[in-house]
Amino acid sequence: MKVRTVVLFFLLSVFLCPVGHAVESPMAQLKPTLKSLTDLLSDERLKGDAHRAERRSKIMEAINVGFDFEEMSKRILGRTWQEISAEERELFTRQMIKLLENIYVGKLESYSGQQIDFLEERVKGKRAQVSTTIDNQGAKIPVHYVLNLTDSKWMVYDINIEGVSLVGNYREQFKSILRTDKFAGLMKVIEEKNRSFEKGKGSL
Amino acid sequence: MRLRTLYAVPALLCLWGFVLGPSPVAPTAAMAANATPDLLADDDYDNGDDQDGVGVADPLEPWNRAVFVFNDKLYIWVLNPVKNVYAEALPRDVRGCIGNFVSNLASPVVLVNALLQGRFDDAWTVVSRFGINTVLGVYGFGDPAASEFAMLPPSADFGQTLGRYRMGAGIYLYWPLFGPSNVRDTIGRVGDYAANPLNYVGLNSDERLGYSGTAFVNRMSVEPDVYADTKKYSLDPYVAIRQAYSDYRNARISRGGGSEGNE
Repeated sequence: MKVRTVVLFFLLSVFLCPVGHAVESPMAQLKPTLKSLTDLLSDERLKGDAHRAERRSKIMEAINVGFDFEEMSKRILGRTWQEISAEERELFTRQMIKLLENIYVGKLESYSGQQIDFLEERVKGKRAQVSTTIDNQGAKIPVHYVLNLTDSKWMVYDINIEGVSLVGNYREQFKSILRTDKFAGLMKVIEEKNRSFEKGKGSL
Repeated sequence: MRLRTLYAVPALLCLWGFVLGPSPVAPTAAMAANATPDLLADDDYDNGDDQDGVGVADPLEPWNRAVFVFNDKLYIWVLNPVKNVYAEALPRDVRGCIGNFVSNLASPVVLVNALLQGRFDDAWTVVSRFGINTVLGVYGFGDPAASEFAMLPPSADFGQTLGRYRMGAGIYLYWPLFGPSNVRDTIGRVGDYAANPLNYVGLNSDERLGYSGTAFVNRMSVEPDVYADTKKYSLDPYVAIRQAYSDYRNARISRGGGSEGNE
């Protein structure tokens, strides 16, 4: 009798959670990524212009553990991704990753030890949403991370702050540029923007 | 007379609501305050349909873009320098106090909107904050309600109220000086301005303008410079701001509230 119950439970668990068993929850995977980022950002030894390059490479290393910039790029480009050639895709992804790095790392700069609270997670098929708040002088600003399951790992592909989605916002910008300047024009704009960060002093 | 005009505003707004059609925010979402939004509801990427329908209605785009360029110049050549001089002249603490004073005086407007939206807890917070800050905070220059009693300022504006009553946003408008808005929020802004008790304390128009101008510059000086940031990180700042404004307002309408300063 007992053995039968055990077997039944075992079978049930196998059938009911085909993925859930091996994969950690999205929130459990996101937590250490954000923790390592906030640790780096509040690290006194890495502050200042002198440590710019070192700080940047460390941040990028930490980001790449939990953030999927390639997925982000594809989603931002939308339908046009299907219409471009393999070389164009590669060129685009390379420039895009650079752009997202610049945007991301630049935005992270404004972090100064605010508390992050994890509220809830929602999983739907291969996608998940982790809702957090970041404390800004007492006001709790809602920040939601949207993740994708790739190779049994949850990777962030969008961030939604106060209702504003990063991917959605850039997708609208791209759409508007594509409408008038086509893909070649878009590439030029992205490259130009990336150059402006290389020259700019405030880009970490 | 003025009061009577005010009463006419809601009536007019109902009419507008009909003209503009239903709000893009789902009715159920509009009523569920403070719930986490479901961002997984539809994946337009998987469906492969990123049609243009999801964008913001902006038939006046050429005109709006012209105003955008104008505001940008205004920001670079006038507003930002003025703000810098102002911020240089007054220490941050003083500017913070001025900001507190301005929001304290605007609390009746927030109160009315919170009540209209059925957010009674927030309405009570507004009343308590006003009492505490006016007395203990010396006419509202300090904010002991937040620092001592952990009562953060709720925010509520008339555009949000209209949105919660399912009025649609209408077309996108980019105003000189004020920047991004839409038909609904423009009406909201005018309503909030008209409802401000400052209009009924006998200031002449110069004084009223001076007050608003100071409040505007002061606000610029204490809040993070979102505009400069957006310009730096976007490929098409006009579209970036249009999309962000619309998403942000929709989120505020469906979430109901949030805590932030309000003029």
